[in-house]
Amino acid sequence: MSKIAFPVKDLARRKFQTSLTIIGLTICTAATVFLTIFGENLGFEVAFVTGGKLSIGFSNIFSRFVSVVGFLNLLAGASITSFLVFIMMSKRMQDIGVMKATGCVTGTAFTYFLTELSIVAFISCIAGTALGILTNFACVHVLNTLGFSISQKPLNINAIFFVFLASILCSHIFGVWPVIKAIRAKPAEALSALYELGMASQLGKPVLSKLGFTLKMAYRGLVRRKSATIQAIVCLAAVLTLTTLSVAGGVIAKQTTQSYVERAICKDVALVCHPDISAQYVNFLSRFFETKETQHLNYSDSKYSISQHLISRLSSIVGLEVDARFVSEATAYEVQVIVIDPEADPPYIEVGDHRSSETLVLGVEPENIVNEWLIFGRALNKTDTYSALIGDSLALEIFSDVEKQEIKVFDQNFRIAGVCLDPLNNGNVVYVPLKTLSPKEEPQYNLLLLKIEPSLHSKVIADIENNISGTQLELVELNGVLEKHLGFLNLVWSSVMLLPLLSLVTATLCLLSYMMLSIAGQQREFGVMRALGTNPKGILNIILTQALIIVLVSGTIGVLIGLTITFAFLIPEPVITLNNIIMVATWLLSAFVILSLSSLYPAMKIIKKPVASVMTQP
Amino acid sequence: MEETEKVVLASSLCKEYQIGDFVIEALRDLNLEVAKGEFVSIYGSSGAGKTTLLNIVGGLDEPTSGKIVVFGHDLAAYDENFLATFRSAYVGFVFQSYNLISTLTAFENVAFPLELAGWAEKCIGGRAEELLKLVGLSHRSNHFPAQLSGGEQQRTAFARALANDPPLILVDEPTGNLDLETGLEIVQILEELKGRGKTIIVATHDRRIMQLADFTVHLKDGRIVGK
Repeated sequence: MSKIAFPVKDLARRKFQTSLTIIGLTICTAATVFLTIFGENLGFEVAFVTGGKLSIGFSNIFSRFVSVVGFLNLLAGASITSFLVFIMMSKRMQDIGVMKATGCVTGTAFTYFLTELSIVAFISCIAGTALGILTNFACVHVLNTLGFSISQKPLNINAIFFVFLASILCSHIFGVWPVIKAIRAKPAEALSALYELGMASQLGKPVLSKLGFTLKMAYRGLVRRKSATIQAIVCLAAVLTLTTLSVAGGVIAKQTTQSYVERAICKDVALVCHPDISAQYVNFLSRFFETKETQHLNYSDSKYSISQHLISRLSSIVGLEVDARFVSEATAYEVQVIVIDPEADPPYIEVGDHRSSETLVLGVEPENIVNEWLIFGRALNKTDTYSALIGDSLALEIFSDVEKQEIKVFDQNFRIAGVCLDPLNNGNVVYVPLKTLSPKEEPQYNLLLLKIEPSLHSKVIADIENNISGTQLELVELNGVLEKHLGFLNLVWSSVMLLPLLSLVTATLCLLSYMMLSIAGQQREFGVMRALGTNPKGILNIILTQALIIVLVSGTIGVLIGLTITFAFLIPEPVITLNNIIMVATWLLSAFVILSLSSLYPAMKIIKKPVASVMTQP
Repeated sequence: MEETEKVVLASSLCKEYQIGDFVIEALRDLNLEVAKGEFVSIYGSSGAGKTTLLNIVGGLDEPTSGKIVVFGHDLAAYDENFLATFRSAYVGFVFQSYNLISTLTAFENVAFPLELAGWAEKCIGGRAEELLKLVGLSHRSNHFPAQLSGGEQQRTAFARALANDPPLILVDEPTGNLDLETGLEIVQILEELKGRGKTIIVATHDRRIMQLADFTVHLKDGRIVGK
């Protein structure tokens, strides 16, 4: 028989097991491919960030999430392959015995089964890649249909090929060891009806009667198939780590990033400025989720000026905080600094490359700022003169070491006090003290951010409108813009929340495979038990108990690892609400219930068969 | 009450198996009566229907047509839950391939039917030890089936079949896989059981066992061709 014909026929003969392996690996590959290219369409890459729609600070959170989940996907895919190949090989032990007995050398037998593994891996990885690309197209299409302008970038063939190659390699590396283990069995061993791949030689303590009948039988079955049981636990733990990470990470990252945006834009905030400025400002805010061209304005034009008199009148309104600003656009330059380094020769190093970037510059009165950004470093305070707070994208784009460097705008150098996560102009912003921007004259304002006390909303709005009537200024409430930002983040994370579903499917497939193997191995014994008087419910209880033990052990490991990674590495300053906890708990509980129930299928299948037929199965 | 005197009453029993497009007739219009305390041996070539007949009598399989009444119960009329209880109470099985539960020790295998029947733990221990002693395996009670020889496994299977003291013992080729000397031990156990007044049906080719029988049934192609 040709080296290809045997493996193909063998795989076709074992349709169910082959399909499970292919589906499991396909889902893992698809999830990784989807994450890679979906992330790129949103403007961030898996391994390195180049900027895009989301500000870099937000991208970093997403990027870290994508990298960790992508890596875990590959690991889960590899462990699924290893486990399912183990199951496939355990069903082939007698074939291997016969092959060896009829003169097939070990190398040839190994080649046959390695070819099987390669066929399965290639089919799964190709199908997974195609599925991942299709899922990405579907998600981008849905986001665009909902009103967000996500450009469908050309596919990054290199990234896709990298994921494809990594999946193929991992599945081969992890899948080949059960093949080697099986091939190494001696012919007499492999031919023996009593031999099973990975069967424990010791059965532990013989009497565990205190555990009760069902638990005792379930425990014995698991211990006997020790190797398969451990593999199933490792495999399920990997998949459940992925599920936990996707669920907890996804839910918390969504809440956290939404909270960052909510704090940065502020709830119940309105703009008062010239219509040109307000349109420009709203466009700058929208750059967070879509590419928007802005018009060129002369921000110093007197028609945009807001008088000190109006500001004083507005400040006297009860339930209103006024944050008066001067907005302009400028080029920001990275200022090179010299840092002492005793180990260098000469004992100092130059930091910075004289980079520059177009940016939005906001002259602010630090004591009146209404935003509450997530800040790395510190916020501006009243005494600051030559200090600046800069946006996350600007910080990462043109600075080498933000904490030590200075920024130059309007020919003035500012020490960088802190970096804020800001959706405005997609993080390309500089906040400087207004008094430093115009030291000699009266401060000039062209935009007012007004924070309104929600309980007095209608009255305050009416008061503002009264005060600005007869001027060229307009009032624009930003809650609508904020809602759109939150909606966008919600949709992005909801798309990512497809992942737990996918990993749940793979986990179910793993458990199903294990249960099929386990039940097939115990089928004759279940028949004997029934012949001796055990009723179908008794058998069902034993099988369900086995599934429950596997799910609980692997679930505990998976959930603990998943939560540790989520809280320790994944999200800085996570926002955790009771709702989040309930949502994560519901997801995980559902996962456990679905997993345990999935074992009912093979269990029901066996108890419906007549006893005599169950007992005559080989 | 006449029917309860007859422990087994099979009339016009047929059993067909569908394998792909083929129908295999394992039993054809078979009639058999076994009275209380009788020892019946069944012989016939491979595929004659011996195991199928034992399975149907023990409620492990159901006939395609015909009637099977055991201890007054028309087995075809009951569901699997009842049949499980019925087997536990009335029938002891000894299978050709021993069919011990590999994850349980010899002691636990014998104790298994007692646990199912709801015996108290203290009584289970005593009873299981008594049975293992009866078949000469007291010293092997903590060994797993894989650690026992074929003869020892078969003797354990006998001990398990007797655990609930069932009135009907069904035995399938008990010496088929054993050497002459070990087979003799099994013949002695059957002789002992016959002496205790058990109703015994044995599928066998072993002349030593046939000689113990009150009558022997010859099966060929699913039909009784001689008694």
